[in-house]
Amino acid sequence: MIPRHELRRHTSEIELHIQAGTLADLLAEAGKALAEVQLAGADCAQGGPARAIRVSSSDREALLVDWLNELIFLADLDRWVAMEFEIGHAENTEVRARASGVILDWAPSRAKAATMHGLRVKDLPGGLEASVIIDV
Amino acid sequence: MTAYPAIARSAWFREIPTTARADMRVPVRIYADDVLWQQISEDRSLEQAVNVATLPGVTGQVYAMPDVHEGYGFPVGGVAAMEAESGVISPGGVGYDINCGVRLLVSDLDLAAARSHLEAAVHDLSRSIPSGPGRNPQLDLTTADLDRVLDEGCEFLLDLGIASPEDLRNTEAGGRLPAARSASVSPKAKQRGHNQLGTIGSGNHFVEVQVVDEVFDSAAADAYGIHPGRITVLIHTGSRGLGHQVCTDFVRQMDQIMPRYGIHLADRQLACAPFSSPEGRAYFAGMCAAANFAWANRQAITSAARRIFTRAYGTAGHLRLVYDVAHNIAKLEEHGGARLCIHRKGATRAFGPSHPETPIPYRHVGQPVFIPGSMGTASYVLAGNDASMTLSFGSTCHGAGRAMSRGEAKRTRSGHEVRRELEQQGIIVRCPSSSELAEEAPTAYKDVERVVDVVHHVGLARKVARLKPLGVVKG
Repeated sequence: MIPRHELRRHTSEIELHIQAGTLADLLAEAGKALAEVQLAGADCAQGGPARAIRVSSSDREALLVDWLNELIFLADLDRWVAMEFEIGHAENTEVRARASGVILDWAPSRAKAATMHGLRVKDLPGGLEASVIIDV
Repeated sequence: MTAYPAIARSAWFREIPTTARADMRVPVRIYADDVLWQQISEDRSLEQAVNVATLPGVTGQVYAMPDVHEGYGFPVGGVAAMEAESGVISPGGVGYDINCGVRLLVSDLDLAAARSHLEAAVHDLSRSIPSGPGRNPQLDLTTADLDRVLDEGCEFLLDLGIASPEDLRNTEAGGRLPAARSASVSPKAKQRGHNQLGTIGSGNHFVEVQVVDEVFDSAAADAYGIHPGRITVLIHTGSRGLGHQVCTDFVRQMDQIMPRYGIHLADRQLACAPFSSPEGRAYFAGMCAAANFAWANRQAITSAARRIFTRAYGTAGHLRLVYDVAHNIAKLEEHGGARLCIHRKGATRAFGPSHPETPIPYRHVGQPVFIPGSMGTASYVLAGNDASMTLSFGSTCHGAGRAMSRGEAKRTRSGHEVRRELEQQGIIVRCPSSSELAEEAPTAYKDVERVVDVVHHVGLARKVARLKPLGVVKG
């Protein structure tokens, strides 16, 4: 399954809808979807500074939320938006990744938190599908 | 979307009985007229209110205010009371923007005197008060000072010279919740918050310059110092990234420990723990600290606004704080002799004249309540009623309430169109992003006059004055 994502409307928030063949690809695609929200259409060159990210959680759904919240935290703190992801290790309760992105001279953190409301990660034939709502 | 049977009890409220779903512990009461009811029924806010009515220790009724709309976990515009001894506390019941709230400042200026410098003053507000997800380099706090803000709230700002004793008297809880513990706030939250004091933030936050357009209750208006034609400033913001991180940290923690307490939920965003548990107490202490940060944030913005108005207008431009109210918070309160943890998410405290927490100068009329409209529409000042204690645990609504998603709002109107329409009404607009301006278009919200009328007729609070916008700095 080719990883893809869509930003869906929600009453006052944004819902990320993601499909991918593996959990690793799903997390990477979710990161790209989040970057789309954070950059809000701004044209940014890829291949900026990289950093290692490690997140552990209680289950697969929580891992997706915690992964996105870590990216939101880094964006708020350093104005660093991750755009490309190499997932070294991904299982239901842990992800270890290297991400490259851009440091912006403007504040990117329009996305304030990933929530557990309506959170869903389900198996499909040949892959996974997930929905997560972002507080903006 | 699930439809629930709602019984109309009057023209102003309906109830969903506990028979509607097997796991409900208390009924849900929705304050709305027929038009608002129709709008409320179109999203998932009723289902979310029913989910809240299943939480352990919930008591009385769950209330949905006339501005209620779908949130995550709890609906925005929801009030729920949990027994302090046997009930839970839920970070989702407070929301991410802990102590998001509103404060109203009033000047001695009338519109004629203010007009000549108004555009310059609004421009100065937009230049001096960081908006969007911005930072405030002028108040970059050391770790020790940030801890003092978290522990002491506005009292610490007295030491910094940017608050007065009168400001503290006219702030809910004196701008300090004593249960706050900076040690319960994570290093991540502190990293996000250390340079965000005195900033508006993004979304629907704003600083608005207004004129008192009409007074409905002259006794209360006199007590608040609000007179027709007077210039006011309304500030709407909260605890910024710090509060969001506190909520994120504790939703995560409570989601993991709920099985230990045998708690099973319809929605994981309702993650909670017994109030009396170590996790519940830690969240309460951290939430109170974030609430203190939010009051200090609005106070720091007040200080900047005062500098600008005094520079523009001299002593007539001094801005006196009428009151500051939280609308995303959990507080321990006494109701009917019971000690309850009242969750107000997108709901404002509305204590009446006889409540001891109503400030003494307002004791004869009730505490001030502020209900901002959407951009370009009026905002309202109301006074709390004693009747609200039995009607809604002393609560009322917090705004007009969204009627349209952000995406739908942007599709309906462009930011440029919204800006032009506001300017045609004579409203000065300062917003760095046209896209975000479109998201907050008046058409994206419910009719604030209708919402306020329901509040007034039900008796949750009574109308005191209407404020008309003159200039808005949008976050």
